[in-house]
Amino acid sequence: MDFAVTSKTVGDTAVIYPHGYLNNIAGESLVKECNSYIEKGITKMVLNFGGLEFINSIGISLLLSVIERLNGSGGTLCFTDISSYHETFEMLGLTKYMLIFRNEEDALAHLGRTSGK
Amino acid sequence: MPFNSIPAKDFVNRERELSYLRLLADFRDRAVADNILLQGARGIGKTELLKQFYRTLFWEKEKVLPFYYSFRRATMKASSFAKDYLTSFVRQYLASIKKNPSFIENRSIPLARLMPIISSLRLDWMITLIEDFHAILKSGDTVEQILGAISAPVTAAREQGIRVIVMLDDFPVAAHLYETNPGDAPGLIGLFVEAMNASVCPHILTGSPQGVLESIFVDSAFRGKAERMFIKALPEDAAQALFSSLCEKLRVHDDREASPAFLRFLGGNPLYIRNMAKALWKMNKKETSEKDLWECYGFEVSEGETAFYWSSVLGEFFGDTVQVRVAVQLLMHLVKSGSGLHDFPQVSRALGIPEFSLRLAFDGLKIAGMVVSGAADAEQLRDGVLKDFILGSYMREVEGKSPDRVRELIAEKHYPAGDAGACFEITIPMIPDAELVVARAFEQIGKKINMEPEVIKKIQLVLIESCINAFEHSGSYEKKVSIRIALFPKRLEITTESPGKFFDPESAQETPLEEKLHAEDKRGWGLSLMRKIMDEVRVERIGDNTRVILIKNITSDEVSK
Repeated sequence: MDFAVTSKTVGDTAVIYPHGYLNNIAGESLVKECNSYIEKGITKMVLNFGGLEFINSIGISLLLSVIERLNGSGGTLCFTDISSYHETFEMLGLTKYMLIFRNEEDALAHLGRTSGK
Repeated sequence: MPFNSIPAKDFVNRERELSYLRLLADFRDRAVADNILLQGARGIGKTELLKQFYRTLFWEKEKVLPFYYSFRRATMKASSFAKDYLTSFVRQYLASIKKNPSFIENRSIPLARLMPIISSLRLDWMITLIEDFHAILKSGDTVEQILGAISAPVTAAREQGIRVIVMLDDFPVAAHLYETNPGDAPGLIGLFVEAMNASVCPHILTGSPQGVLESIFVDSAFRGKAERMFIKALPEDAAQALFSSLCEKLRVHDDREASPAFLRFLGGNPLYIRNMAKALWKMNKKETSEKDLWECYGFEVSEGETAFYWSSVLGEFFGDTVQVRVAVQLLMHLVKSGSGLHDFPQVSRALGIPEFSLRLAFDGLKIAGMVVSGAADAEQLRDGVLKDFILGSYMREVEGKSPDRVRELIAEKHYPAGDAGACFEITIPMIPDAELVVARAFEQIGKKINMEPEVIKKIQLVLIESCINAFEHSGSYEKKVSIRIALFPKRLEITTESPGKFFDPESAQETPLEEKLHAEDKRGWGLSLMRKIMDEVRVERIGDNTRVILIKNITSDEVSK
């Protein structure tokens, strides 16, 4: 299955869209994409899971790398459209490290408010 | 041990047979032949009938003494048999006249220590008999040794003016008595003829299968020496009455709607019926629904007393676990093929068993009466319980299935828990993303049972994990994983099986998330995910395969109405 990561910037925030199956290879691409923004000094990110079809445990571990990296650099990572995976992330205890919003607009609004403070 | 029997009140529907045997004890009644062949399938109750009769004679009769002897493989060497036979007789004789079963039960007291008691009872003939026997032992003449031992009951009857009823259980085993090595002295069984000729010493002989016992009396010096008595299965009403009465005693409610078909399967075999009632109690069942019955049956025939009974029969005739395993493989082959074993080299190749071992197993099964002249005995093969025991032993000993799995599979064979559902089987190659084929297939399966999308997503995740786990752990050249998804009314069972290295889930330690977050290696979520999403996760070793069984109980809020 093809995996694609697309992204855009909205103000000082990067919005990243993983599509397809988040496994080891795809996870590496996602990490790479996020790192490239961090290297550019963008530390506010929104991960929109709306196009994500499947995920596996390796994908989850790579997601954890992104969380760690952004936390370490004082950034903020928001997750949106994760309803299909919410319960699983909660089971694994991941949600306490995630800022979750219903959709991209809500996440961007939150990040906008944060940057205004 | 003749006193190791069930209470007389629980020994039902054999009154006619018992009355007939009692005639043997009567000096004046000549309506009955001097010797009786008690025939019937293993477990049908021949031994129990002998023991009940023994107990009656022991406690109730004067001038008639019972003697019970069970032939065992361990004492097939002529000298060992002769000593064992004589010692057993002396003990039982003393027990009978003293009305004290402890002489029989306490087998650790040697014959020499019984001599003062024999003297005090003024049994001079017995002292002479024992002394003569010891002299024969020194001479090394095995024929004389056997004759010395088996003539003891006749001597006792003549000296004391009594009758001694000799009960020889599993008599066909005596055909395998030997001097130094098995098979070196065929015909020693013929030495029993003389003792059987003595009318003061009626013999009751049992044997399974009936063909073996009968052949001894048709083809040899025994011809015309005995009449046959068949011990048949309990008729349906008696079987039901026995089962219901046992259930009542064990406080299990017998659902008479459910049990007749089940009891028919047990073939009216009182041993099986008793064991099943006990199994219900052991498994804490309060009623006998069809499901409960077959669940208990799965246990009983794989781990319960019935399994123990048949294992003991095998254990009696096979020295070690390796031989038992070969015997089980051979029995399974005979059950499957439904024909005889005539081409040893071919079967040896097919089963991967050296021909020598195969022949050894075959001979053992013949002595045990489980095969007759090449074929598994037809009478035994009609016994569905025995066939299930063989199947269970095969799954455990040869296929390496866990006892739990064997129990389940046997129960499901008779009461498929998935009656209302369906089973999907997929085999995928170990190539990247092949796990998604299974995940997508499950999407359809989940929709078919109206499973909520979130639940489908979780199960898909579990399926993906289970597949990639198999990919990673397999060290086999056969790069395939088989997945079985079974739907039950309120349960989902996923089984993945693949060749390769076994992984023990118990040894897999879960790292706390906090540690994982900062660790270099953040992997190792698979098992944790499976455990959290599913209700049960089991990993079994099946031969060279690893099987992961994942069970999820489906609650009403996980499916849409």
